[in-house]
Amino acid sequence: MHHHKQYQCSVCGHIYDEAEGDPDTGIAPGTLWEDIPDDWRCPECGAEKSAYNLLA
Amino acid sequence: MQIVIIGSGVAGVSFAEKYRLLSPNDEITLVTRERDGYYSRPLLSRGFTMADIEHTIILKPFDKLRDSNINVLCGVDVTAINRTDKSIAIHADGQDIALHYDKLILAQGSSAFIPPPFRPYEKLFFCLNSLVDLKTLRQFRQGFLNQNQRPSWAIVGGGLIGCEVASDLAVAGDNVTLFHATDRLMERQLVSEDSDLLQKVLQDSGVKVLLNQAVTEFIKEDGKVCVKTDAKSEFDGLLVACGFKPRTGLAESAGLETGRGIKVNQQLQTSDESIYALGDVAELPDGKLYAFILPIRNQALWLAEFLAGQKQDDWKPPAFNPKAKVHGFEAAHPYNV
Repeated sequence: MHHHKQYQCSVCGHIYDEAEGDPDTGIAPGTLWEDIPDDWRCPECGAEKSAYNLLA
Repeated sequence: MQIVIIGSGVAGVSFAEKYRLLSPNDEITLVTRERDGYYSRPLLSRGFTMADIEHTIILKPFDKLRDSNINVLCGVDVTAINRTDKSIAIHADGQDIALHYDKLILAQGSSAFIPPPFRPYEKLFFCLNSLVDLKTLRQFRQGFLNQNQRPSWAIVGGGLIGCEVASDLAVAGDNVTLFHATDRLMERQLVSEDSDLLQKVLQDSGVKVLLNQAVTEFIKEDGKVCVKTDAKSEFDGLLVACGFKPRTGLAESAGLETGRGIKVNQQLQTSDESIYALGDVAELPDGKLYAFILPIRNQALWLAEFLAGQKQDDWKPPAFNPKAKVHGFEAAHPYNV
């Protein structure tokens, strides 16, 4: 069982939780961070995927 | 060239960082009254349920901006804009200093709007508009938790922020009553079907929702605060969430054209050609103000490119879908923005 991680957008604070995914932008619950396409953007502020950091 | 930015929210910081990348030789100074660093305003609405929020909310310490060669003057109040000699007057550590600019970017954001009838009672209620506000609220709440009590809250205003905070406090375990003036929640952003759904989600999380409430007065009695409508009910804490008011005071005093916000043209330029405005404070020619993160960041990046000579066209609002941070609520229709 994979332990779900959370990633935070460094621009706006949006949190991507692997358990929840982001259904509005087509990311199904349970999607791992590394499986999200590189052109995916923060749903809240539009920042690039690279603007996210792992939330400890 | 000396670029001065007033405000350290997403507008000011996004602009500063982007402009820094594009124009390595210009001097950039960001002036802000904040002291805690660049923080996430949307996360204020998760201030009671999120673990370690007072740290998680800080996205960038000011020192990190300084490392990128952006001067940051924090904990500073700007007292005037002097357009004749192109400088701003700032008050810091008991001293008055003038700071020259070639281009001035106004990005002061907005404060909480307090309806005039509530203004005489300002000592009786909280607002949630900044990290300082959140810390004050959390400290007040902690006083109850320390005694194994749960505070009862009245939230006045069922717009976006009011609904978000009601949801977060209820999910955190407090007793929450939400007073709203009209017949449905978030009526400006949601279709009525989604307002109904939102109401149900809030009620299911324990929020008592009262619609069509004309709140006339707040009264302090025996350590409690009372909200007076046709009836009178008492609470431990009171929070007013009736919308936002762009901080236009400085611009107005300097003689810039203002309306609800600081008036700008399609290139985000104010009525003074050396001064631009961004974010919550900027009122576009069609009368619109953009208060959501995505269009504000888009404005900031656009303006940085424009001033660096990389864009000539007008700024155009991007498509965006805002979303209320209400636990368990998903609107079925797009928001009206």
